[in-house]
Amino acid sequence: MAYVAVKGGTKAIEASLNLLNYERIKAGKIIEVETIMTTMRSLVDQVMSESSLYSPFLAALAIKQAEGSMEEAVFLLRAHRSTMPRLYHSEVIDTKDMFMERRISASFKDIPGGQVLGATTDYKHRLLDFDLVDESFIENEKWLNTFKEALPVIENEKQLIHYPKVVSYLRAEGLFPTYELNNKNPIDITKENIQFPIERSARLQILTRGQTGAVTSLGYASLRGYGAIHPTVGEVRYGKVPIHVHVPTETSTDIEDQYYIGEINLTEVESFVPITAKDKDGVDELQFEIGYGACFGKNETKAIAMSILDQCLEHPEVAFPTHDEEYVLLHIDTVESTGFISHLKLPHYVTFQSKLDAIRNVKKEKASDEAN
Amino acid sequence: MLRRKERTEILIQYDSCLAAQFAAEITDRYDCFEIIAPHYGLTMMKMRESAQNSLFYIGEVLVTECKIEIESHIGIGIVVGMKNELAKHLAIIDAAYEANLPETVNWKEPLHIAQEKINETKVKKQALFLDTKVNFDTMEV
Repeated sequence: MAYVAVKGGTKAIEASLNLLNYERIKAGKIIEVETIMTTMRSLVDQVMSESSLYSPFLAALAIKQAEGSMEEAVFLLRAHRSTMPRLYHSEVIDTKDMFMERRISASFKDIPGGQVLGATTDYKHRLLDFDLVDESFIENEKWLNTFKEALPVIENEKQLIHYPKVVSYLRAEGLFPTYELNNKNPIDITKENIQFPIERSARLQILTRGQTGAVTSLGYASLRGYGAIHPTVGEVRYGKVPIHVHVPTETSTDIEDQYYIGEINLTEVESFVPITAKDKDGVDELQFEIGYGACFGKNETKAIAMSILDQCLEHPEVAFPTHDEEYVLLHIDTVESTGFISHLKLPHYVTFQSKLDAIRNVKKEKASDEAN
Repeated sequence: MLRRKERTEILIQYDSCLAAQFAAEITDRYDCFEIIAPHYGLTMMKMRESAQNSLFYIGEVLVTECKIEIESHIGIGIVVGMKNELAKHLAIIDAAYEANLPETVNWKEPLHIAQEKINETKVKKQALFLDTKVNFDTMEV
């Protein structure tokens, strides 16, 4: 059966778009993009992460245009991304260079450098703060001044601290396997069609841009028994990492001739997963592997869930859907999943009509058989 | 002389007035041709994951890029975000270094001062986070 082109909805669509704009502005309030960017940081981070485009300003603009709808904002930003030229590839980002704003471990109390909580809601009462209803700039200014006055005095000779990875100590002790640097160029799923089984690089790229809710749900499902992984979080770190670029026309390959272009905020998680493996004598022994998660901005739940799914997908198991890379990776993308679900509301007149015709024919034949 | 990696880091992290001041010194004395006006594009970011030490792409970042020619030398300005002015100033400064213009010699000192100030600011900022470091006391039961 062929598709049938129809027309006649133009006026209705125009009126619908006008109505949409009316609904957005009718209350007479305007929220500034800057306000969204600075006060809704988690939302902005999620939109950037799921869009796979780091730009707090554009993410905030998308949120404004989408009136707070995550799926619409991500769609807008993905669409915008597709119109822009890719100018460069960065040099390899290594989170050892991170300017740390938070770093905790659930595995060890005493990690070298200490547990730094940073700004977190982890230990905050989840009670609505009705003071925010009448929040005032003057009161906020007073609070900020008091906060600044209470800050510790810093000695001039103090140096910046860069925190080593928790796992590096365990690797040094021989408790975790070590890996040589693997510099194989990653697959880029925005340029290549994926085929299963896929390489680890493609898997991580899909997971990091996955929908927060979907990644979290599948990670949770794995813990509940629809998977065979139960990790302990070795390290969660959040902070700024520098980005460097080597320009192709530059003849020097010296890293000192690279361009520093700025920094981005990242969350990174290493989960420690106990596994049973055979030693060299064929005897079962307990070992640890690492599940890896990382995403734009501050989104620890997503990064932890990603680390669970990374480890699940490292060990395919037919019995568990969360260990099936096709099942996990093809269903977590925001634009693909929301796009496919929402397309169901678009006209399917022809396909539905053909189903009706088929049922009518069956009924007619049945009635004819019964009459005979 | 500060190499490119270090000087671009200082110019981007410090007050953008410094880049504007250096660029103005050059534009006042030399012909600067805009090869590519400031425009927006993407940089795909490659990252090393620490579980197996392999590489993957974490996503793209929006950048502003500009290219300027001074005395047959091309300078490039690239900066994260939508920063047309800064990208242009960075390109002028880069071209000035490529062309070995004498003005660049005098920039060494202000760049070092800016670098020290950036470091001081970062140390102060880090102290904010270190204030949230947990001091565990083991409880006796």
